[in-house]
Amino acid sequence: MSAQRLISNRTSQPSAANSDYTWEYEYYEIGPVSFEGLKAHKYSIVIGFWVGLAVFVIFMFFVLTLLTKTGAPHQDNAESSEKRFRMNSFVSDFGKPLEPDKVFCRQINEESRSLFHCYISEVEHLDRAKACHQTTAVDSDVQLQEAIRSSGQPEEELNRLMKFDIPNFVNTDQSSSFGEDDLLISEPPILLENKPVSQSSRKDLG
Amino acid sequence: MKHIVSPYEGSNGSARNRSDCPPVDLPGEVFFAISVAGVLENLLVLLAVLKNRNLQAPMFCFICSLAVSDMLGSLYKILEGVFILFRNMGYVKPRGRFETTVDDVFDSMFVLSLLGSIFSLSAIAVDRYITIFHALQYHRIVTVRRAVATLAVVWSFCAASGVAMVLFSHRVPTVLTFTLLFPLMLAFVLCLYTHMFLLARSHARKIATLPRANLKGAITLTILLGVFICCWAPFVLHVLLMTFCPNNPYCVCYMSLFQINGMLIMCNAVIDPFIYAFRSPELRDAFKRMVFLSRGQ
Repeated sequence: MSAQRLISNRTSQPSAANSDYTWEYEYYEIGPVSFEGLKAHKYSIVIGFWVGLAVFVIFMFFVLTLLTKTGAPHQDNAESSEKRFRMNSFVSDFGKPLEPDKVFCRQINEESRSLFHCYISEVEHLDRAKACHQTTAVDSDVQLQEAIRSSGQPEEELNRLMKFDIPNFVNTDQSSSFGEDDLLISEPPILLENKPVSQSSRKDLG
Repeated sequence: MKHIVSPYEGSNGSARNRSDCPPVDLPGEVFFAISVAGVLENLLVLLAVLKNRNLQAPMFCFICSLAVSDMLGSLYKILEGVFILFRNMGYVKPRGRFETTVDDVFDSMFVLSLLGSIFSLSAIAVDRYITIFHALQYHRIVTVRRAVATLAVVWSFCAASGVAMVLFSHRVPTVLTFTLLFPLMLAFVLCLYTHMFLLARSHARKIATLPRANLKGAITLTILLGVFICCWAPFVLHVLLMTFCPNNPYCVCYMSLFQINGMLIMCNAVIDPFIYAFRSPELRDAFKRMVFLSRGQ
């Protein structure tokens, strides 16, 4: 390899006598290192590195938890208007991507309780489920009607719409027995809501 | 990789007596066990994804890519151990051309695994980011074909970089590039996840969910990033110290812990399936079905 390698001038016989697993190489033998007159402890880099790493990770954790308690208020206004726009555009798209494959969606929901993933899977199976389009329309009608019925203040409507198949905002079931679904662990359910949408929609239908 | 990065493991042991920081040796069985566990776990993840049609989604492509890179890293360790065994038993010449070439191939495999890990983790973060912030266009932006194409480009780049880094391993720019990739990727992934987390937090505040959900989010993020940092940073620092201060006694003492740093990388390959792949309920169910099917037969 490189000519800069310092090759040992000592014997290069691999010493099988040491142990069966001698993880030893003989390429390098850099000159003697003097350990005289060290000001700090000899493992100070090791200790300093690991302490620094631990401090960094804990600091990151505390910053994240502090973000949950406080927060940037200006960000909320920008985000809520953005999300409102997105939800409106989603509502207008109701017919197409909602639940082309209702059975599949139900399975996914029961398994994952991740509505977001359900949405994505639905979209991907759009082509396969043309036959289910009628149920799709019924579902979307029911949900739309419920949304219109419950529309009062914009905030309530926002919340109500967010309970449905909003792709950005994934529902969690905090009263569920599974309980501890994780944030940002599965792809990528950010769990925010109380009830999964399809359960409420199933209640509407049946 | 040892002949690049561990200057103090002399064959006859006198290097050990020379320094007050003797290299810490881990038994080969530990390495072997961890590597085999890593290979098996990631192989299971790959099988579960490939055998299930409903898991053929872009996000699972990226999880597969991560599993492949972890598997490569563990395979590297196993092959290296076997090779050392052969050399200690005398089947292979200590410094022959064949042996040097095989060492180089192993090293490039290791660098490929490391770069593959870094890029797979970034790809997973980007995929999640697009899912959150461009959800309505997600199925148009991220298709399976595009995901596979992206992975092909990324892995070709990683292979080329691996070969290049091994060929020019002792030049300072190579080492600097190698060690800069790590914090750059970390900062990138941290920004993406923090932005996603902020969105989750703001919506949780609107709906007034329990603060517990946000705490879980913080814990999850910390685990994801913390595991990556704690497993890879020691090795990256080792490479840096190896290049810039090989004669400094403090650096020598840090570098004597090389095998522990290497083991941490193996541990990362073992832990990654649990924090990425098996967190997905679909993949867990596919895995259970696979296991029960094989038991039923």
